[in-house]
Amino acid sequence: MSRSSSAVSAAPSGAQRRLGASPAPRRQLRRRKELFWAVVFLAPALVAIGSLRIAPTISAVVSSLYSGFPGGVRPPVFSGFDNYLDLWGNEAFRETVLRTVVFNVIINPLQVAIALLVAVLMTRRIAAPGLWRTLVFIPAVVPIVGSSIVWSIALRPDGPVNAIITALGGRPQPFLTSPDQALASIMLIASWIGIGYWMIFLISGLRAIPSEYYEAAKLDRAGPIRTFFQITIPLLKRPLLFVLVADTVANFVLFVPIQMLTNGGPQNSTTMQMFNAYRTTYTYSSKNLGAAEVVILTIIMLVFVALQFRLLRDDDRAAKGTS
Amino acid sequence: MNRRHVLAAASGIAALALVGACSSGGSGGSGDSGDADWSIPDTDPTATIQVLGHQDADGIQEVIDAFNEDHPTITVEYESVPFDQLNSVLDARIGNQDGNPDVFWADQPRIPALAARGYMTDITDQFAADTGVWDPAPLASGQYDGRMWAVPIANSTQLLYYNVELVEAAGDPLPSAAIEDRMTWEEVTERAANAVEAGATNGLLFGQVNRYYQLQPLPMSLGGSAGGTGDDLLTPDVTSEPWVQAMEWYGELFAEGLSPLGVTPEQSDAEFLTGNTAYMVQGPWLLPKLTDAEFEWGVAPHPYFEGGEVVTPTGSWSLAMSAFSDEREAAAIFMRWMSVEHGGGYAANYASPELPASPEGKEQYFQRDVFDSDAGQLAAEIIDFETSNTAVPRLQTVGFVEFEEIIGRAFSDVANGADPAAALESASSELETAWAQYR
Repeated sequence: MSRSSSAVSAAPSGAQRRLGASPAPRRQLRRRKELFWAVVFLAPALVAIGSLRIAPTISAVVSSLYSGFPGGVRPPVFSGFDNYLDLWGNEAFRETVLRTVVFNVIINPLQVAIALLVAVLMTRRIAAPGLWRTLVFIPAVVPIVGSSIVWSIALRPDGPVNAIITALGGRPQPFLTSPDQALASIMLIASWIGIGYWMIFLISGLRAIPSEYYEAAKLDRAGPIRTFFQITIPLLKRPLLFVLVADTVANFVLFVPIQMLTNGGPQNSTTMQMFNAYRTTYTYSSKNLGAAEVVILTIIMLVFVALQFRLLRDDDRAAKGTS
Repeated sequence: MNRRHVLAAASGIAALALVGACSSGGSGGSGDSGDADWSIPDTDPTATIQVLGHQDADGIQEVIDAFNEDHPTITVEYESVPFDQLNSVLDARIGNQDGNPDVFWADQPRIPALAARGYMTDITDQFAADTGVWDPAPLASGQYDGRMWAVPIANSTQLLYYNVELVEAAGDPLPSAAIEDRMTWEEVTERAANAVEAGATNGLLFGQVNRYYQLQPLPMSLGGSAGGTGDDLLTPDVTSEPWVQAMEWYGELFAEGLSPLGVTPEQSDAEFLTGNTAYMVQGPWLLPKLTDAEFEWGVAPHPYFEGGEVVTPTGSWSLAMSAFSDEREAAAIFMRWMSVEHGGGYAANYASPELPASPEGKEQYFQRDVFDSDAGQLAAEIIDFETSNTAVPRLQTVGFVEFEEIIGRAFSDVANGADPAAALESASSELETAWAQYR
């Protein structure tokens, strides 16, 4: 938004310079007016970014450099990087970081891949496409608290999912009560919600691909798989990368299903960094340590996102090179 | 409302010095609790106080209406937050330091932690004349570091409830309600297995599944500690033989299908009321709900391990005043009315109160309709005996908040099939880290 506004304000002043006829005071007045309106239009966004993004981030970083008695009353004292060193020395925390990274390395490509497959399917000539799309999208509009409750009942050891498995001749599974299956169950629930949501973005991306490319591919006798990898994927790279970045951020801060279904257990198998930071901050009331955990989470998340943006930049260069 | 004036400055400075001495690194952090320059007045001020609790607002309204009859100039604005969120909401609100809330429901075992954090006003002097009103255990739960921080409005104990039909179907005699016939856990386990075999869904249900409150008596009955030892009870002691043995027994209940996985404490009363559970450990708050039960039920004393000690849970809720209350006098009048007057206005006026914390309150409590039935009469006798003979308070430590959370997760892991010794070992090392900041 800021870029487009400065472009608008630059154009008229350039025109004035070329004319060179306007007297200085009038020019100044006009400039001031432009500046005024620029500020007016930018203010809401700047205030929002400043108060909702930049200020909390700075405050978290500052807070993480202090140590204090739990609770929000006793004033903390400056302790430099002590909180970070304590966390680094804590095996449970290191395991939590590793678990969070592994979770994201698995869930993000998986969700995006399935969302893409479903999106491609939905843009094919199928009967009642609106109905199918709505069905896939519904989980995304159900409040996550509600769907977590439903899943907690569905995945109970004596719940309906196990009833179906037993009816089909399988053995009942422990799901959320087993340290080996709980994280996978959380992935399942997160994906059940996420896939329909990200599918919508990919469908709009698919629709934006000009049909000529597909016709040309057809003339060249390219099969559906080759068409998918050589036409669809390259031309869908931008929406795909947006979805990947946004999905990554969403999964790094995944919280509600963990809090509601497993409380980080069994045996800490679903304790992710976001949940851990919440527990430190709100359950134990150790706000400064919690802030340090959030800063570490943010840094890891930024590294992931930076890698993904790098992919986007390479794509730009490649596109320029070929054109 | 005859309140005497209190000594102000001297005790205030003493309180500040005490709290300052126990705090690690905070200076003057105990809010304004040191300035005991106020007392509970003889005439009511005109004021509005904000009260934060976990009880349903509709239920509390009756209590507030009764309070307003006695104290019409004090307006009480009650706000309810779910039990699980009470502590985090308190952190945020009191952290704002703006006098909202003035009074809050304080979980008794958390009082040392909350007082040390500087959340509470020292009320030692203002309530000095009332300390004889309450039973000793609830009174002690509000004291920390030699000062008084909260007034008890309730107490609790645990009973063993049973479903007559399911016990008979299992071919077992009905348990006796007599204290001297108290069953052992070994016998209850056997009976639970018989009931499940005879078709009951649940043999034995812990109403507060995986919560320290209800499970603390298991290791203690086998001779274990409350979970912490040493100075200030900040050395974890949850890996001893009694703890491991108690958790092995607990884990087996779930492994053998005698207890259900996935029934939360919020759902447990309803689970028992469906009539599918043979035995259930739960507090007296289940009694009013049982008047609607469609099956015959009975009560027996809380079990113990064979050859071990008889230990029962206790403790409940107190009212504390925020260190930043801007209406201390009105807040104290409200707290005093709730906990002292009429045997405790809360217990006297709430539709289904917990067990009162004072003998006078208990007397009124046992006259309620729920104790009319034969089983109700027996329950009243058991409750009376346990609260004064077998009750053991929870671990009284500044580190209780962390302890309750960490040990609760270990219990939950054991219920889900984790190795008890390993789960307790891991909890112990987590506690070691979490408590380091207090030592």
